[in-house]
Amino acid sequence: MIYKTFQFDFKDLKLTVSQIEKVLGYTEENSEAHFSELIGKALKEAAEVCSIKAEYRIFDDILFNDPDKTVSVNNITFDIKKIIYGQLKKSESAALFLCTAGEEIGKISRRAMKSGDLLEGYIYDVVGSEIVEAAADLMQNDLEKSMASSGTKITNRFSPGYCGWDVSEQHKLFQLLPGTYCGIRLSASALMDPEKSISGMIGIGKNVRHLPYTCNLCDMKDCIYRNLRSEKKKN
Amino acid sequence: MSDILKMLSYCVEVGKMDKLSPYPPNMRGEDGADELAKKALDSGAKPGDILEKALIPAMAIVGNRFSKKEIYVPQMLMAAKAMNSAMKHLKPFFQSGETKRKGKFIIGTVSGDMHDIGKNLVAMMIEGGGWEVIDLGVDVSTEKFLKSISENPDAVIGLSALLTTTMENMKKTVEAIKGKYSDSKILVGGAPLTMDYCKLIGADFYSPDPQGAVNYLNKLVS
Repeated sequence: MIYKTFQFDFKDLKLTVSQIEKVLGYTEENSEAHFSELIGKALKEAAEVCSIKAEYRIFDDILFNDPDKTVSVNNITFDIKKIIYGQLKKSESAALFLCTAGEEIGKISRRAMKSGDLLEGYIYDVVGSEIVEAAADLMQNDLEKSMASSGTKITNRFSPGYCGWDVSEQHKLFQLLPGTYCGIRLSASALMDPEKSISGMIGIGKNVRHLPYTCNLCDMKDCIYRNLRSEKKKN
Repeated sequence: MSDILKMLSYCVEVGKMDKLSPYPPNMRGEDGADELAKKALDSGAKPGDILEKALIPAMAIVGNRFSKKEIYVPQMLMAAKAMNSAMKHLKPFFQSGETKRKGKFIIGTVSGDMHDIGKNLVAMMIEGGGWEVIDLGVDVSTEKFLKSISENPDAVIGLSALLTTTMENMKKTVEAIKGKYSDSKILVGGAPLTMDYCKLIGADFYSPDPQGAVNYLNKLVS
């Protein structure tokens, strides 16, 4: 079983103010200096406090069950539902992953909110989310390169809570990633602590594909990332 | 409407909190909602008029522009900040009973769920809509909701959830509230929710955005 851990430097993520502005809804034409300054400050502080880690473990023992649209990994059955099943079903193995931006960014956001500065709290929250997504991109790129050397490809990454895969299934995922390097804890309601963390599954195989844009597959029509990624695809 | 109230309304709409606030940059150094609310009271404006003619319409404009995606969360938060800085001058009149608000609204994120940004946005917009908001915070147990309702029996209740796992807790809380207070009105909101789920669990209304919640509450008292 291949197991790999990562500790990223903030600068490796290459996050920019305009990237965060896009997540907030702004374009270069309508961005406002006041918000840009706050984002810049949040990114600077994040660079100092974030402990950005990731890990993946590759499992070769996987079995797909077409009628139920489930996949069993090491005999633990994940009810991934038809959208994700369709993307993963040609996989020969699966990488289960965790990624975190660490505790501090969430704490700063909560502190700001508690003190009544909701705008600052909101901006730190968005910055935290973008950090963990960017780190997961780096981890995924690393996995893709490792697999390419043996002529194997990877799918997109999929997380419980999206595309119909119930968030409670994170408990099963954590069962397969005991004593995590990332130090993420899971509450009974499947809330991760640190909150700026993600978990999920990536399919690996000779006949799988990595799509540039998968949001059109998902049923969360109001998700903010849907529009963002759709724009990225157009550009 | 007096020029002061017009200007106050505009300050809330664009998020100009006070004279020292650098936002928006084209109003740097000018009076903001804080100073104008005080000036309005000093010049004899009734607190109820300040609320109904300046603050509520301004926040309604903000809410509608947000619903239409003409502005985004940061601008809405700036507007809410400006509204709060005006509202602090009105609080003594609310407390003395001289100025009445439209009603009470109890809000909280359900048990097991720590997400509060959406809940806070809704709470601010509803306060800006002229309601007294009792914010119970996050990870709120059913018992805490029931206790607050017993203390505020006419209040409308708002439940928020961001996780599919805690939607189940929302269902349990709605059942408990409706079981004890069958006439109560319950609004639900949160990213994974839909109107179908709202109906399924016996809640009264679902809104995908804060202004929808304000409009629903206003219908209840119109």
